[in-house]
Amino acid sequence: MSEHVAPHRWADLWAGRVDEAERATMERHADHCRACARVRQRVTRASDSFAAIRTQAPPEVPWDTIRARVHWSVSTERHAALRRRPPAYGWLAAATAAGVAVGLAAHAVAPVALSPTTASPDGAAIARPRPAPPTRLIGLVNRASGDVMLDGVRPDDLFARSLVEGSSLATGDGRVDVQFGSDSAFALGPMSTLHLRHFDAGTIELVVDGTLDVAVAPRTGGQRFLVDAGDQVVEVRGTQFRVVHDAGGTRVACHHGVVTVRDRAGGAVELAAEQRLAVAAGHAVSAERPVALSADEAAAFDRAPPLTLPLWDPAALPRSSAPLEIATAGRRDVRVDGVELGLAPLRVRVMAGRHGVETADSAGWFRRADWVDVTAAPRGARVEVPAEPPRTGGITERRRQLRAGIDQPRLRGCTRSIAKAGLTDTYVQIEISVGPQGAVGFLNVLDTDLPSATAGCVRDVLAGVRFAPGAAATWRERVDL
Amino acid sequence: MLRGVKRDTGSGSPAALGPADEAELIARCKANERAAHDELYHRFRRQVAGNLYRVLGDRSELDDLVQEVFVIAFRGLERFRGDARLSTWLYRICVNVALGKIRTRKRRPAAIGVADLDATSADPSLTERPETPDRTLERRQEQERVYKALERLAPKKRIVLYLHEIEGLDLKEIAYLVDSNPVTVRTRLFYARREFYRILAGDAASPVEALTEPADTEVEAEP
Repeated sequence: MSEHVAPHRWADLWAGRVDEAERATMERHADHCRACARVRQRVTRASDSFAAIRTQAPPEVPWDTIRARVHWSVSTERHAALRRRPPAYGWLAAATAAGVAVGLAAHAVAPVALSPTTASPDGAAIARPRPAPPTRLIGLVNRASGDVMLDGVRPDDLFARSLVEGSSLATGDGRVDVQFGSDSAFALGPMSTLHLRHFDAGTIELVVDGTLDVAVAPRTGGQRFLVDAGDQVVEVRGTQFRVVHDAGGTRVACHHGVVTVRDRAGGAVELAAEQRLAVAAGHAVSAERPVALSADEAAAFDRAPPLTLPLWDPAALPRSSAPLEIATAGRRDVRVDGVELGLAPLRVRVMAGRHGVETADSAGWFRRADWVDVTAAPRGARVEVPAEPPRTGGITERRRQLRAGIDQPRLRGCTRSIAKAGLTDTYVQIEISVGPQGAVGFLNVLDTDLPSATAGCVRDVLAGVRFAPGAAATWRERVDL
Repeated sequence: MLRGVKRDTGSGSPAALGPADEAELIARCKANERAAHDELYHRFRRQVAGNLYRVLGDRSELDDLVQEVFVIAFRGLERFRGDARLSTWLYRICVNVALGKIRTRKRRPAAIGVADLDATSADPSLTERPETPDRTLERRQEQERVYKALERLAPKKRIVLYLHEIEGLDLKEIAYLVDSNPVTVRTRLFYARREFYRILAGDAASPVEALTEPADTEVEAEP
């Protein structure tokens, strides 16, 4: 062999993929060629190290932390998916509510009284010991946007504060989500106020002025959930509903479960799932009839349900979680760990660890914005998402111009040598920008199977395409050769 | 149907699952059984970390990448049809995650963590007797050279070359892992090998520039 040996052939020799005759020729050549002997030595030593790389043990990593993060991410998504899947559980909620309704009918329920003390069963206290007071509930803010006032102040540590009986919330132009059980939460809409009149495991009574979305676990026999909205009281037996109360009256919409709307005069109307009721100010409830929710109204429930965390522990959460503030240029939908949270800027409670933040572009597609590390500290973390780059139009037309303008004979000339060597089905992926006058701003080869010389030749051919004046466009193109 | 592309499950992993046990574990995972998720994680975590670590030669962000692999796996388990062993399917996810990482690193070059390899050693069970310090140093330097050469390859070429030359996988197995067809893999491998060994040989120091026929290095795909 008078010619030098290609380096990869020494690797073939090392791997036993060279026949004896060629091996002898290669060895003979290396014996007389210092350069080839040096290459042989380098390639052989590198090949020897492959086995060591192959058996390299991974370093220790924080397995439990990773496990927790994985579980957190997956379970959060699953919870969100379950909330978005009403048909699977709608019948169950309805059946539960029907069962509760039958039970209540047996007791011949009187018009609801707002105070739990007036609702005590008659005569029961004589023979039985005094029951233990119901457990006080604690609510934690999971998501907040815009101005939020808690008990009359705008606290810096909103996510570290607990909401208890007697607490009041008020919102400006944003909203606030509060969780108070593993599957129970409410969201107070913009320009609304809420007072937690009763807030324990037996009775929850919320006084609202504005918009309140509630998603609550089905009530058991002894539990009551009331929303006081001016002249009307909304009693809930589960599970997702909205109450809007303003000067014009009260509007109630039920997404899952059953909701009863009563007025002070004793009139009552029951709303089944996917129904709504509007009661004008000063009108009796009994004069109104429920109507079915429109598809848009039903979809609105799914878009932004009150945010619940999968591992509800009000004692541990303030220590193990922290607020993540997401700031965007303009109002953009955001997603954290795959869970849609609505329009940013906002703050959301997340567990300590790394979280993926995605923002929606103008076309509505979510794109990865950043990974952010959140430590379990009161102040949490902040991520700023830069403004979306301006969109370019006319890609289809520019793409057509590119395809039509490629000098095919010249392109075939580029690939002729490798085609002769039997290599076909190759490709070049490029990114190209064309200005309004048809000038090519840039043309980058992103990926290719071609050797660099051939890829350079193909690039030159593509750069030679002439574009007519038109819309500016930047796009990626795969050219199969 | 591919069965068991990856032989190594990493040191310290529990015993390998039989097909029946594996099917049961997958079924339990699909039923969202928390204990099954934990079991899958515990069984495969070292294999996943090992795969990522060896492909990238870098321990930085390894925990994030392991997390990403398992999140993708748990998300996609519903669609897992059992065409391959679970370990193979996870390896495929590892390859894709590693590919994404390599691409990111290409766009935003950072310090290459090849020196991280110093921090760990080869599986001691495969070493007959302790290495001398000189030998250890030499081995580390060789590994650094290999990873530095790999860093200079395009991401797709790098992955294909790694899987073929270092892991010893055949074209069909690689094609499954990189979601491509064997012909494309063969082409990619052909150029990757030429480029890689030329870099290893020392670029300009290499005396050969002539194009070699692809038949020289063609690797037979399994029927």
